[in-house]
This record gives sequence, C-alpha cells and structure tokens, in this order.
Amino acid sequence: MADETKTRKPLVSTTSLVAMGVGTALYAAFNVFFNIFQLPGTQLVTLRPSVCIPMFFGFVYGPLVGFVSGFLGNVISDAISWGGFWWNWDVGNGLLGLIPGLAVYFLSEERRFSGTGYVASAVLAVIASVIGMGFAAFTDYIFGYGISTLEEAIYVLFLPAAVTDAVNGAILSPLLISAYAAAVKGRARRA
Amino acid sequence: MTERFIRYIEGTSVVHKLDPRAKFFFVFSIIASASIAYNIILVLPLLAVSAGLYLAAKLPWDKVKTTWKFVLFIILFLSLMNYLFVAVLFHQPRGQPDIELAFDPELFLMVFTPVVKLLTVAVATITLVYTTPYNLYAPALGQMGLNYKAAYVIQLGLRYMPEFIEEMRKTLEAQMARGYRPRGGRNIFARILSLAPLVVPVTVSAALSTYDIADAMELRGFGERSCHTWFRKLQLKKADKALILASSATLILYFTLFLTRLP
Repeated sequence: MADETKTRKPLVSTTSLVAMGVGTALYAAFNVFFNIFQLPGTQLVTLRPSVCIPMFFGFVYGPLVGFVSGFLGNVISDAISWGGFWWNWDVGNGLLGLIPGLAVYFLSEERRFSGTGYVASAVLAVIASVIGMGFAAFTDYIFGYGISTLEEAIYVLFLPAAVTDAVNGAILSPLLISAYAAAVKGRARRA
Repeated sequence: MTERFIRYIEGTSVVHKLDPRAKFFFVFSIIASASIAYNIILVLPLLAVSAGLYLAAKLPWDKVKTTWKFVLFIILFLSLMNYLFVAVLFHQPRGQPDIELAFDPELFLMVFTPVVKLLTVAVATITLVYTTPYNLYAPALGQMGLNYKAAYVIQLGLRYMPEFIEEMRKTLEAQMARGYRPRGGRNIFARILSLAPLVVPVTVSAALSTYDIADAMELRGFGERSCHTWFRKLQLKKADKALILASSATLILYFTLFLTRLP
C-alpha cells in the first residue's frame, strides 16, 4: 500500500525545466538586446557579455540546464539576429553552460555559494570557453563549414571567441552567482 | 509580442504550407549531407535543392535583404580568409612564394568548397526560419516524438524572451536615470564590469522567478501525466511525405557515398 502511494521522482524536475526555458529566454534576450539597442559609447557587441548567462544557469541549476540554455538560447538569438543558425556553434554555446554546471558534482551547495564557489565559477568559465569555442571552431574545420585550414580555425575563429568569452565569463559569472546567493538568502527555497 | 522579434514572414507558398516536421527533417538532411560531402560536386546539388526550396518560398526581398547582407558578408570574409591562409600564409613553400601555386585551380577548390557548404546550410536554415510560425516549433517537435516537457522548454523560451528584452530596456533606462553610463574606454575589464548594473538585476530577478513559474505550473498539474495533447494537431500531407522521402533518400545516398568514397 505504501509503495502505491510513492511517487517516482522525475528525471528532470519542473524547476529545472522552467530554469531551462528562462535561461534560454534570457540568453536570447541578452544577445538580441546587445545587437538591437547599441549601448552608447561602447563596442560591447563584439565582446558578448551575454555568455555569462548559460554559465550562471549551469552553475546554479546543473549541467543540463546550462547546456539547454546555451544551445537553445543561441539558436533563437541567431534566428532572430540574422534568420538562420549554425548547429555546431549552438552546441559550443551549450558547452559554455554545461561545463560550469559540473560544479554541482564536486562542490556542495554551501561551498558553491561561497568564496570557493566564486573562484571555481571563474575557472570553469575559462575552461568552458576554451572547450565550447574550441568545439565550434574545430568542427567548422572538420566538416569544412566556411574554412579551409586548421590555422584559420585557430586564429580567425577559436582564439578571438574563446578569449573574449573567457574574460566575460570569468568576470561576470562570479558577480552573478554572488548576487544570486545574496538574493536567495532570505528565501525558503533554492536550486 | 514574440512576433516583433522572430523573422517569420507570412505567406501562401508551397513551402509555407509544408508541415514544420517535414521542414525540420529536410534541414537535418541538408546539414548532415553537407557535413559529410567531401568534394564540391557533392555539395553543389545540395545547394541547388536548398536554393530551390528557398525560391519556392517566394520571400519578399525587402524583408530578407538584411539576412542576405549578413550571409554575403560572412561568405566574402571567409573566402578572403581562406585564400589568405591557403595561398599566402601557410601553404606556400618557405622563402620562395610561388605565383603559379597562388592561381592553382585545386587551390581555388580548397578555398571555395567550404564556403559553398556554409552557404548551403545557411540557405536551408533561412528557409526554415522565415517560413515556419514560431508557435509551431514546440507542437511540431512534440509530435515528432520529442518528450513534451522538452518541447515545452522551447515554448517557455519563446514566451519569456520578449519580456526579458523589455525588462532590460527598463532596467537600462532606470539605471541611466540614476546616472549610470556604460564605459567605452580601452580597459576591457572596466568595460565588462561597467555592465554589471544592467546584467545583474535582470538575471537575478529572472532566476528567482523560476521558482514561482515552476510552482504555478505544478499547481496546474504540469508533469503529472506522461502524455500530452497539443492544441495544434499537425497532419502530414502528400507534399510533406514527398519531402521527407526525398530527404531520407538524400541522406542514404550521401552516407553511402561517404562510406564508399566514390567520386
């Protein structure tokens, strides 16, 4: 009788699903916002500060949420910005969220939202940028999408994308996580 | 509100009338076939098919010209880069630049094949985005066998994106009224840090709203049942089936050619 009343825990909770949707929407919104509303006096569009969004969602809600936020957010923002999408750059953006999300496996929730967690998020942001943009740039070379040489993949695609994403992610992700930690302190629920 | 942002153009063409599932499968087959196509002779038919479907969509030029400007810029930029890297920088014999080599037809093939591949994929995805209403993405994926919860993520993303853009605009205006000005100096770190007053409030408030949205959905019974009925019921017609069949045949043919490496 007791077994009948037991409910099986779903593989992905409703909170995680909503976090994927919200992360997707926010990442797409940031990308579109920085393209449409050019901020005065800056060359921010090329810097892509929005990469901190999948990194933040991954770190707070886990790797799957981070991956989906980055992947789908990039598909939607590409579709809006120019009308199409590139699957390998979408996967690369997904990895930007997945890798910081791995922190949930080696840092307890307490430590994730403390100084150790902020340092870990900055380090993971750099690793994610290298792996994510590396995946996108080198698959462009492997499948021959637009580029002919490995050197081009490195100097034209990988280095500019990985360095700017790493700098943005390493600075903005810990800021977002610390602000989030402060905001949820008074709330009953957390991720 | 999402209509303001999504690049869908209403129309009555054959492509507009196609089932989104058939178009998804077509795009998948073009991407997969182009990815494994190992020479220009195999890429050109794919470009012709993609371009054919694009032309059949009869998209008005004034609404797609921004997209084409972007695609042509990318194509031109990458063609120049390819030529620079292949003919000038890395593949010349050291110390003695070879003029003949710089105009070798083989070299031009090496330069332009990837660009044609890129154009093929771009044309296919552009046709999909411009001819498929955004509110059909989730039902189409759901009715393709994707779990309805996964399809719901797309729906949520499209539903909240315009709200977050609006929230960012309001936050920027509010912060500017308080004297905030994004810095445009040379220090990259200062420039990124100057974005915090804009990025942090919007992101934290969005992340906190996650719990309220999830609670509201669960209170309405979301996730209770393993199946889900879609308001928009899609039905495959003859043209859709023909496109799916042709896409499947293309996929099989390109995989066979890839495995056997026939010219």
